[in-house]
Amino acid sequence: MTAKSPSGPRLKASRLERKNTLIAYSFLAPNFLGFAIFTLLPVLFAIALSLFEWNGGDISRLKFVGLQNYAVIFNTKKVAQNGLEYFFNRVDLGIALKNTVFYTAVTVPLTILSALALAMLLNKIKGAVAFRTIFFFPYVASMVAICVCWSFMLMKDGPINQFLMALGSTFNKSWTADSGMAIWSIILVSVWRNMGYYMVIYLAALQGVPRELLEAATVDGAGKWKQFLHVTLPQLRPTTFFVSIMMIISCFKIYDVVAIMTDGGPGRSTKMLVTYIYEEAFTKVRYGQASAISMILLVIVLVITVIQFRSEKKFSND
Amino acid sequence: MKKLLALLLSGILLLSCVGFAAAEDNKTLTVVTWDATTTPYLIAQKEAYEASHPGVTIEYVDVASQDYAIKTTTMLSGGDKSDVFMVKELDDIIKWQAQGFAEPLNAYVEKTGYDLSGFVGTEKNYCVEDELYAVPFRSDFWVLYYNKDLFDAAGVAYPTNDMTWDEYADLAIKLTGDGNYGTHYHTWLSAVVNWTVADGVNTLADRNYDDLLYFYQLYQKLEDAGACMAYSELKAAGLHYSAAFANGNIAMLPMGYWYVSTLINYNKEGTCNFNWGIAAVPHAEGVKAGSSFGNLTGAMINAKSENKDLAWDYISWLGGEEGAAATASVGARPAYVSEKVAAAMSSVEGFPTDETSKGALIPAFVGMEWPVAEKVADIKTIVNEEHSMIMAREISPEEGIQEMNERVAELFE
Repeated sequence: MTAKSPSGPRLKASRLERKNTLIAYSFLAPNFLGFAIFTLLPVLFAIALSLFEWNGGDISRLKFVGLQNYAVIFNTKKVAQNGLEYFFNRVDLGIALKNTVFYTAVTVPLTILSALALAMLLNKIKGAVAFRTIFFFPYVASMVAICVCWSFMLMKDGPINQFLMALGSTFNKSWTADSGMAIWSIILVSVWRNMGYYMVIYLAALQGVPRELLEAATVDGAGKWKQFLHVTLPQLRPTTFFVSIMMIISCFKIYDVVAIMTDGGPGRSTKMLVTYIYEEAFTKVRYGQASAISMILLVIVLVITVIQFRSEKKFSND
Repeated sequence: MKKLLALLLSGILLLSCVGFAAAEDNKTLTVVTWDATTTPYLIAQKEAYEASHPGVTIEYVDVASQDYAIKTTTMLSGGDKSDVFMVKELDDIIKWQAQGFAEPLNAYVEKTGYDLSGFVGTEKNYCVEDELYAVPFRSDFWVLYYNKDLFDAAGVAYPTNDMTWDEYADLAIKLTGDGNYGTHYHTWLSAVVNWTVADGVNTLADRNYDDLLYFYQLYQKLEDAGACMAYSELKAAGLHYSAAFANGNIAMLPMGYWYVSTLINYNKEGTCNFNWGIAAVPHAEGVKAGSSFGNLTGAMINAKSENKDLAWDYISWLGGEEGAAATASVGARPAYVSEKVAAAMSSVEGFPTDETSKGALIPAFVGMEWPVAEKVADIKTIVNEEHSMIMAREISPEEGIQEMNERVAELFE
């Protein structure tokens, strides 16, 4: 016990400090309150709910079932007998996972490529502002309108099939009614809609590429392509990383396009994690199982977010 | 000072979260339903009830029709206090009963001496362990609509009330051509294969779907012959059957009885101007002519309602003879059956006057579209998923039916 008791002025300072802290908290309070009521509590409730059976009646009807909800959605009994192939081809959760991962794996690179290409094209050309507006427009347009228009364009005798047929394709069916093509129609709409938004992010990042580096590269005899490959692209790395993480997260949460264009069909060919959650919760009123599926989605998104946080630190330290 | 301000601000926020419930007028009855502004019988019922019960106002809470089950269940889970909820699908009331949202009605029936005989047994579908939970006020079964003008132009005799599905298919093919379709199937499962329950033996929850094969094959035969629009196109375009038939180039349409009031209105407004009639839906070999399937629509009292007695007065009126007369006055088919109601149905202005149409008003048998059964929500999802695969021709009917059988069997393992 060597520490002296705080002297007069020290005490004053700490009181001031405390006062300041309180004021700071009170300014944070409104925001935090909203977050707590509308996000934090529901998330905590959902975590708990995944261990209960509940059909949405009074709270007194909650029945603790432990991990049974997880056993049911993974169909552990059947999967143990028949292996993983069974899980990914027959079990709703497996199919939804497979579809969501496939959708994400294709949509993210495609969107990044087209956004980057657009940004490069529109970086310094005449009339760029007009083009930027045009490519950004889908992002602000109504999702329902976009999906309905694309559904019509992707119909059996629609313009896109006509065009493909002129190129020699033999595909003659509505995209959304074909179990192989339905997911591609969703990818197409997603890429088309989002590329304008990410283009803007890339355009901003392009302004940050130091001109000296490009000039130096020119002096060293690098052509446009080499400049892009060895100067611009590495300079855009933090942006690309940020964009891909954001996109992966939003892709895992895909719902609206599917709900409007295919409703998960034909069969289960476009069933996604979130459409599956919706189905379990609101058409079958099994909130426990729906919460269990949400937990799986939560874990996936959480892992990606942690990776992002870690790497962000790395990039900012560079 | 700053502290005070901060406190004040958080205080205001807290208060705004609590909110204030508006004072309720206890003479207003809130009724949750769908398409309240466009459904003629809802308007007629409201007018008739308010006229005979001065001082009471019926206030409809309109919920989008396609999301009705989902939205209402969410409302009830959230403790909504609306007095009456209309019951769209049979399993809704079973679900609500299990969740404790539905007020048990036997005590009210006894207290007021309410006569259930007019429902000819259909009210049993709303009972759980002999306790009544809702009163039916509409009973829709499926009939065959046909465009008389197209039959006249082709010189073919009108459909009759005793026709087999094969005869119907021949008729559909005969009427196809010149941009006309012989028949039309809406994308629903019910429009294509629900006919199998008309024999009173099969149900869609009986875990064996081999009986659907005949109807899928019949559909594919008609689609191949160009006698109906292709499922995948209808699905992609989202074409509604009412607009399709009103277009005037479709000769026949199997559809629920509710479409009568829509057609009558279309004729009045001039949306379509051809002559139409109804006939009993075709029947399979060995099934009695005039057999069909259908659905009940009813009303239940919210267990959280604060006006339960008034709510009972309303739903008992709605299901009873007076309510039935109001429902029938615009061409909808009430659940309550009596001479008076039948006369009201056929005398509606705009209802076809021929004998076949009148005869089609009295079905020989009505099976339930979906029965009340264990795990019926899961079965519905599976059967509908495989239905969409068969209809889009991703798999053959045989494969699809095998999938249905296997997947439904897995539910009960």
